[in-house]
Amino acid sequence: MPQWTRTIDRASAAAAAVRPHKRAKWNRTEFWMLLPSMIVLALISIFPFFFMIYASLMDYSLSLDEPVFAGLDNWRRILTSETFWHSWGRTAVFGVSGLVLQLAVGVLVALLMYYIPKGRNLILTLWMLPLFVAPVVAGLLWKYLLDPTYGLYDWVLKQFGLNTQILGDVSTAMPAIILMDIWEWTPLITLIVLAGLQSVPTEPLEAAEVDGASGLQKIRYILLPMVRRMIVVSLLIRSMDILRYVDTITITTEGGPADSTKTIGYYLMQVAFRFQDMGTAAALGLTMLVVTIIMGNFFVKIMKKGED
Amino acid sequence: MKRKFSPLSAVSIVMVCVMLALSACSSSSNSPGQASAPSASAATTPAGGTASGATSEAPFEGWVEGLPKIEAPAGFNWRQFEGTKLNFISENTPPSSALAANIRIFEDATGIEVNIEQSNLDLVAEKVGLDFNAKNANYQIIYADPYQILTKHSRNLVDLNTFNNDPSLPHIPGGTEDFIESQLQADGYMGDTEHLYTLPYDSPTMVLAYRKDVFDKYKDQFMKEKGYDWTPSANLTWEQYYEIASWINEKVKAGVITEVKYGSGHEAKQHDALQCDFSNVLGAYGADYFEGENLGSVGAAKPGKSLLTSPEAIEAAKMYKKLLEVAAPGSTTWDWTGVAEAFAAGELAMAPIFHENNAMFEDETKSKVAGKVAWSVLPKGPKRSANLFGGTGIGISKYASEKEQKAAWLFLVWATSPQAQYMILKSKEAGSTPTRHSVYNLPDVQKGMEPGTEESKAMPNLLPMKAVLEAWKLENVYMRPKVPQWPQVDTIIYTELSKMLFNKQSPEDTMKTIAKKSDEITGA
Repeated sequence: MPQWTRTIDRASAAAAAVRPHKRAKWNRTEFWMLLPSMIVLALISIFPFFFMIYASLMDYSLSLDEPVFAGLDNWRRILTSETFWHSWGRTAVFGVSGLVLQLAVGVLVALLMYYIPKGRNLILTLWMLPLFVAPVVAGLLWKYLLDPTYGLYDWVLKQFGLNTQILGDVSTAMPAIILMDIWEWTPLITLIVLAGLQSVPTEPLEAAEVDGASGLQKIRYILLPMVRRMIVVSLLIRSMDILRYVDTITITTEGGPADSTKTIGYYLMQVAFRFQDMGTAAALGLTMLVVTIIMGNFFVKIMKKGED
Repeated sequence: MKRKFSPLSAVSIVMVCVMLALSACSSSSNSPGQASAPSASAATTPAGGTASGATSEAPFEGWVEGLPKIEAPAGFNWRQFEGTKLNFISENTPPSSALAANIRIFEDATGIEVNIEQSNLDLVAEKVGLDFNAKNANYQIIYADPYQILTKHSRNLVDLNTFNNDPSLPHIPGGTEDFIESQLQADGYMGDTEHLYTLPYDSPTMVLAYRKDVFDKYKDQFMKEKGYDWTPSANLTWEQYYEIASWINEKVKAGVITEVKYGSGHEAKQHDALQCDFSNVLGAYGADYFEGENLGSVGAAKPGKSLLTSPEAIEAAKMYKKLLEVAAPGSTTWDWTGVAEAFAAGELAMAPIFHENNAMFEDETKSKVAGKVAWSVLPKGPKRSANLFGGTGIGISKYASEKEQKAAWLFLVWATSPQAQYMILKSKEAGSTPTRHSVYNLPDVQKGMEPGTEESKAMPNLLPMKAVLEAWKLENVYMRPKVPQWPQVDTIIYTELSKMLFNKQSPEDTMKTIAKKSDEITGA
């Protein structure tokens, strides 16, 4: 047996002998260092999660002294409720159309800004202004702009002979809500994608230039593939947000007219705070959690696929 | 053998401890720091005074001749709760704004600090519900809307008879009989009249606001074409209202009428307001929501079966849909504030509106219709005129300490007293109209109900009062059912009505759907 293999064997044996002791010591240190975070995590995340599961199995109305065990009643009620399924349907319409449009506009604006030689910072700052507006304030802003009595946009539309009540008509209320979301959150996608574009190395672009690639070809074959992960990250963030989009709906339409803007988030809020039925609200919240996890995993898989 | 210390089991132990500790906190309903409410008394409420009969006047400014005085037992120390801080949660209504602007009167006299928090009603109901559930008393004084709060949480409120019958405390000035009886029943009681939970505080009521200038100017033309006097009065029917609204719309389109844009407007947003607006028509057609008795006055835990499949209810729904077909298109985006703002902007010739908006209508800085508005009871249906009452009382949280409860009682005595109600009426904030008979008997208040008088300019909310006093008569007033399930039922009503207005379902199907879903919720 060569000398070097014997040396390795001895080292391995020594390491094997030492490993259990070192591992245990490391575990204890790791445990004590992680403990504060775990306690905080338990308080703010894990405990509420288990409490939600508990609440979803209880008749938990705020007008009752103590919650009463209800088995799967809350789950049966929501799963057989057409309001529940219709709310999910509207959420899907709102979410998918919102995400697609935000992605298209967000990436387009990011590319335009990437190519702007001067004044990029100024334009970017102006473009990002809606991001700084709280959703409630954004709701109030749009409500006033579209108000049929004194709204500026409503007045402009009337000058063109369009006498539609944007927020008071079943055919226009949902598109209006989607546009409000696009107005407020597209800049976030632009910001993330632009950050990705600016970190793309110049060498591949220069090489493509030498090879005679057109501007569109450079975008199609170099820039977009290289910012793919950024796009997926921005979609991941927005898809989670979009499920919880209730502030603006609450301020503008309150789920109407004729339930046309009642998304699952608004429905949950109504059940929790208007009906004060925390048990059913917990069950609704858990369905949202499941969908969020599925969506999150979907986007993470897309991201990993790109890495492979 | 030494047992290994597993990190996983340690984390589990910590989590279980945390959960147990939190559970213990949340279930400690009667912890030593929280005094329970004094035991409720079933005694009837006295008109005031003490066993010995000796009383002393309260140190609050603002009393005028003709009003019952706020009095306390002889030697009562009004500053005994000095330093106590009270939180009053209220809907953002004119009386609360007026009270907040004048709270110094109470604070200077008692040394009690009152913080008045105002939000929209949904938020008030949510915060109060959470506060009661946690048995916290972050809010000691509660604006207890009879339908959203009182019905669900009456047992979390102190029985005010306890304090009103306590010989060591001030009593309700003028006694409970000075309150308008139907309002005391609707606002103050739940289930029975043994326990008094709140004292009437405000009294908004839906009546018909109309443009006097328009109705005067085109009166003859309408009479010539349609053959009757269109001036709104107790004799106007919903059918005629529809005809008038359509006629005005036609004349506006033809360019004949230029003062308004539409004949009528309604609060028909998918919101509580839509249910309120519809209830006026429902009541006028002799229908109601449930079969239970006294639901509109003292209320009940079980309302019985829904009555919305009755022929009267279906007729009412058909008429309501018809009314909205000719109403201003903005109606489907308006709640009670929206329709009032549209009326103030001069868009509408008439609309069912909560009367307390008249202060805004008569304020030239906020309105284009100042001096042009008149009021009437709402049109009648085949059965009667039904005018929805939307008043509320204020009560005291059972979870407040004994000292806070007594301090809150002093506040209630003052805030609902005739002199405070009179002050609210006269305030610059143009607050609510009083809930007290004695205030309406004052000579200047009587004069204020006449258009053009100085008093009516100083107290603009008095202008609709002739119509409102008519609306408050038992045969005209409409009180919604007071049942604990009302927030859910209310939501079903306005959601299904909204679908009906957009032709997603017929009036018959709408009523059937509401009835079915309501019965599921009430367990009937």
